Amino acid sequence: MSISINSQITAAVYENANESQLASQRDERRKALLGVRGLRKRHGERLLFDIDRLEIATHSAYVLTGMNGAGKSTLLRVLGGLERAEIDSLRFAGEDVLRAHPYPRALRRAIVYVHQHPILFSTSVGDNIGYGLVVRGEPPAAVRPVVEEAMAWAGVAHLRDTAPARLSGGEKQRVALARAKVLQPRLLLLDEPTANLDGAAREQVIALIPTMVEAGSSIVIACHDRDLINLQGVQRLKLRDGQLEVR
Amino acid sequence: MNAIPDAILHAFTLLFTGDPDLWRIVWVSLKTSIAGLVLATPPAILIGYVVAMRRFTGRRIVIWLAQAALSLPTVLIGLLLYLLLSRHGPLGGLHWLFSQPGIVFGQCIVALPVLLAFTLAAVQGLDPRYAETAIALGASPMQVMVRVLHEARFGVMAAVLSGFGRVISEVGCALMVGGNIEGETRTITTAIALETSKGEFAQGIALGIVLVTLALLMNGALMLLQGDAHTIRERA
Repeated sequence: MSISINSQITAAVYENANESQLASQRDERRKALLGVRGLRKRHGERLLFDIDRLEIATHSAYVLTGMNGAGKSTLLRVLGGLERAEIDSLRFAGEDVLRAHPYPRALRRAIVYVHQHPILFSTSVGDNIGYGLVVRGEPPAAVRPVVEEAMAWAGVAHLRDTAPARLSGGEKQRVALARAKVLQPRLLLLDEPTANLDGAAREQVIALIPTMVEAGSSIVIACHDRDLINLQGVQRLKLRDGQLEVR
Repeated sequence: MNAIPDAILHAFTLLFTGDPDLWRIVWVSLKTSIAGLVLATPPAILIGYVVAMRRFTGRRIVIWLAQAALSLPTVLIGLLLYLLLSRHGPLGGLHWLFSQPGIVFGQCIVALPVLLAFTLAAVQGLDPRYAETAIALGASPMQVMVRVLHEARFGVMAAVLSGFGRVISEVGCALMVGGNIEGETRTITTAIALETSKGEFAQGIALGIVLVTLALLMNGALMLLQGDAHTIRERA
């Protein structure tokens, strides 16, 4: 299976553009969204990882691989502001946000983390998807159409009033992606989004990822899934022996 | 030999003829217990939530004290409140001793550790990813608390019902702080103690039937809630 992210995006963006525009757009694309220097995480005495430098560009997708226990999930949680770590320098969209750790609300709204086994609240699927908008104070009339659109995008429109406890693993994952998508995050952190999913559910989840990049998000996916790792246009990061390798 | 059956028969007569003295006692009990519970519930839930969710110095001491307070005899709480509320006590100026506000205050103190310990257990038992998910979706600390308490609602409701069970059935605090004044501070439990000491069993039995009925209703409600919670977990 091969899904091209960059080819879909570039076809739309670069059409009819001259060479200089292309160059400036390419530069824009390469602009660092998140830049981290000297990121260390310890579990007690044990140093889990010591990352010299990590840069996430705008409108880009990354897969983060590594052995079990290498610290992939922990790294995503640190980047998502859910866990503390020692950090020398942290910049987001050009601004120094190191002193803002754990993240202030504005930064939290730009970065969304999705668990490996997403937690859905004990409300309806529709209410779950709209939750992030509601807590941001969006009026119900504005939330409803966005939620409808996101449910259609994730293929869960028929589950609008269903209790999350009745959903399959694949459906839960798609609802979680829709819940993240409505927030239009600048950085989306997905922890093993296809783990424990069967073939069809896996493919449905994988098919949603390029469209999120297309919509303007940068994505970092921690995974072991070959199909995700081999997605065209995706950059590869690997955590090995506490170091981050860029491939 | 017929004293007990006669007393039981008389008890049912009191209950079903609407004996004003008996139902006044029930009313005072319900009023003071519910008022005490209503006052204790918000701070207890808030403290229970904070202790469950935050790591701070002295947290284990708070948990230890809350759990130890569960096994404190209510008569001891009554004694402490008596000393506080007596004319020369630090709260003597309130004039709450031997009054319904005094009983409400006492019931509030009696209910607090039950509510706190049960809320703490309910929130601690919840998957921490609920709070993380709310945070990751941009919720404020207050919105995270509302979400977490909603997800732990069966446990929190069990805490409230257990708190009510504790205050409606306790005798020591109500007796010492209320003084068992007829029509004013006489509650179900203090009336049972008094009537029994006088050898008048009928009213005591009637009030006992009311207490047992309340206990059955409370526990029935709790079982229904727990049943719902189990069904939801099994579906998940």
